[in-house]
Amino acid sequence: MFQAKINAGLLQSSIDAVGVFVDECKVRVDSEGLSVKAVDPANVGMVELDVPADSFDSFEADDELLGLNLTKFDDIIGMAKAGDVVALELDPETGKLKIQIDGLRYTLSLIDPESIHQEPNVPDLDLPGEVVLAGAEINRGIKASGMVSDHMAFGVEDKSFYMSAEGDQDDVRVDLTEDEVISLTAEEDARSLFSLDYLESMSKAIPSDAQVTLYVGSDFPVRMEFELQGGDADVSYLLAPRIENE
Amino acid sequence: MEFTEFARRVERVEELKGDHEKTAEVADLLSAAEDDVDVVARFVQGRVFPGWSQHKLDVGPALLYEAISLASGASEQEIEEVVRETGDPGDAAAKLEFGSQQTLGGGADTVDEVYRAFERLADESGEGSQRAKVRVVADLLMDADDASARYVARLVLGEMRVGVGEGTVRDAVAEAYDVDVEAVERALMLTNDCGRVAETARVEGEKGLRALDIEVGRPVKPMLAQQADVEDLFDDLGDEAAVEWKYDGARVQVHVDGTGEVSLYSRRMEELTESLPDVVEQIESEVEDDVVLDGEVVATEDGEPMPFQELLRRLRRKYDVRETQEEVSVEVQLFDVLYRGEALLDETLEHRRRVLEEAGGDLISPSWRESSMDGVRRVERESLDAGHEGIMAKSLDSTYSPGRRGRNWLKLKPEPETLDVAVVGGEWGEGRRTDLIGSYHLAVRGDGDLLKVGNVATGFTDEDLDRLTETFEDLVVQGDGMEVEFEPKVVFEVGYEEIQTSPEYDSGFALRFPRFLGVRRDKDVKDVDSLGKLERLYR
Repeated sequence: MFQAKINAGLLQSSIDAVGVFVDECKVRVDSEGLSVKAVDPANVGMVELDVPADSFDSFEADDELLGLNLTKFDDIIGMAKAGDVVALELDPETGKLKIQIDGLRYTLSLIDPESIHQEPNVPDLDLPGEVVLAGAEINRGIKASGMVSDHMAFGVEDKSFYMSAEGDQDDVRVDLTEDEVISLTAEEDARSLFSLDYLESMSKAIPSDAQVTLYVGSDFPVRMEFELQGGDADVSYLLAPRIENE
Repeated sequence: MEFTEFARRVERVEELKGDHEKTAEVADLLSAAEDDVDVVARFVQGRVFPGWSQHKLDVGPALLYEAISLASGASEQEIEEVVRETGDPGDAAAKLEFGSQQTLGGGADTVDEVYRAFERLADESGEGSQRAKVRVVADLLMDADDASARYVARLVLGEMRVGVGEGTVRDAVAEAYDVDVEAVERALMLTNDCGRVAETARVEGEKGLRALDIEVGRPVKPMLAQQADVEDLFDDLGDEAAVEWKYDGARVQVHVDGTGEVSLYSRRMEELTESLPDVVEQIESEVEDDVVLDGEVVATEDGEPMPFQELLRRLRRKYDVRETQEEVSVEVQLFDVLYRGEALLDETLEHRRRVLEEAGGDLISPSWRESSMDGVRRVERESLDAGHEGIMAKSLDSTYSPGRRGRNWLKLKPEPETLDVAVVGGEWGEGRRTDLIGSYHLAVRGDGDLLKVGNVATGFTDEDLDRLTETFEDLVVQGDGMEVEFEPKVVFEVGYEEIQTSPEYDSGFALRFPRFLGVRRDKDVKDVDSLGKLERLYR
């Protein structure tokens, strides 16, 4: 059983956050709320999304696992106007998802969750650098790096956080000291390199005004955590690094 | 079986020169694969899915290079550079360093896991699927060693280039499981599924193989006819022959299952059901359930047959089928039956024809039994008068051999022949045509490779060039300025004035005044005309 009403804007930005990595995903609903865990087809990037029950206008669910075609779902939710409420209901007879937006009714066929790419088990990572900063700062660093290269570094060094990229001709570097970010803790210096192909699409889903907590290690995945719509949903990204060739 | 072990063994197969050595090595590979033999028997030939399957990877060199770039960190220019150096995308992948991009886990280690990844790749379609396809392929390459990278890249493009074809796998299955090679051959012909044949041989032996049979819903290759002169007809076929009209259409295999559901397949076993709704309707109203029939679809206008090109226009337009249906109407002419509640392949044509007349309703193509040259000439005249291509003559006591081109079926066409050739390269145009590939390099089938016979640059409409450029852009293996090399995937039908000898091309022949007649979408590069045919026509 699953029946819920949710603000269209929150639903849209939640889908966008997951759509960065996948076109279809498994959506888990239970009494706590709605959650998604998905990894991109190359096993390089992973997203976890949590929308707690009290972020919905109304929410009722038993444990269910829904296989969702995100591209289609995104198109449907795109029909909503700002401020609309989207009603979702799993039809127990047909196993389809009934979507209602201001008089518009859409019945969406779900996909077999078994057929969806299974995410790997990722061990707990001990990432020594933790920095909290505005989404706008990260997006700016990614955008600038994209002008010179196809990969970039995140790092902590001497109590400051940096983003840098080295191209064939040009270089980019953004340094943010302890005082210029919201907070910074670093047990040791750290630096890892990442594909901009992934970061650029992640950047589109990171709200400029969100506080992003970024965890970085040395040649380790980077984790970025932030909230959507002032805390109504939690998003966490994990991205595998590139190892620098000597 | 681990994919790295598969790659290591295939590398050995590639290095071996002699057929016997290759077969023995493949037999060894199959035995070692144990219950992964179904996948391995296909992979070793560069096939991912069974022959009858409608699954396709639909990945060209451009997408592969993008995946290699993502997995290796090398830029696409660097990759194209290495492809030029090595001359092969697989060798290029083997030469590049992987392992810089890390993953969060997962990945594919066994041949079965690689196969599952290919299934995901084939399932990706529509908006955004390119990105997902690139990433699935990248995932296969990320942890790959040299040999694995080489064969993943080649599998993705559908060509293993290790000198192993269906014949080698047939012999290797016989050797590995100690079964009769004829039984393997028969099973392959009937199932089009070398994986299933190998697995059956492994588990159930020869008895299991002999129990395999044609099934409704799984297309088999159609039986083919040999070109012949009318004069020699009775030498090949005996005192009496079945003589039929030869249509300028496209071959179609009709499957009707026990519930009356109709599926149509091309000679390449691609499903055509959606493209030919009017044919489906004709079959539904005329034909019995639970049969497999062989026939030809023919385009007509006001009851007159239209050239093959018109029909292709219909088959190509998957999306506006109903609209084209108004312009070109299509009918089916049935001339053989392969299955009616039971397999009929081993029955004689005479018997099958009787069954067809009971099962095929009003859609049966006429057939005459003729024992004199006068009779044959009469049928030929009638066929040509009705606007058809010529005649077929068939041996009355011959069985149906899928995929075989023998002397039991003869095609007799009065017109000069056209050639079906592979397109292996092209040149960007000049002036008004700078954005278009305006000239195409053509090749025929030599002994294992493709040999050039010239270029075609005439016969195209502007619309043809737009469409062809779009198609071929995805098939560019490497491009050096104006000249580009294509992955050979597309078959052109070309006309010409005559065939000349020429030192300029590696076939030793050149076509005089070649002109483009159309794309043979129903044909595979494996089916293009051979150097032997060129030699025959030259004489």
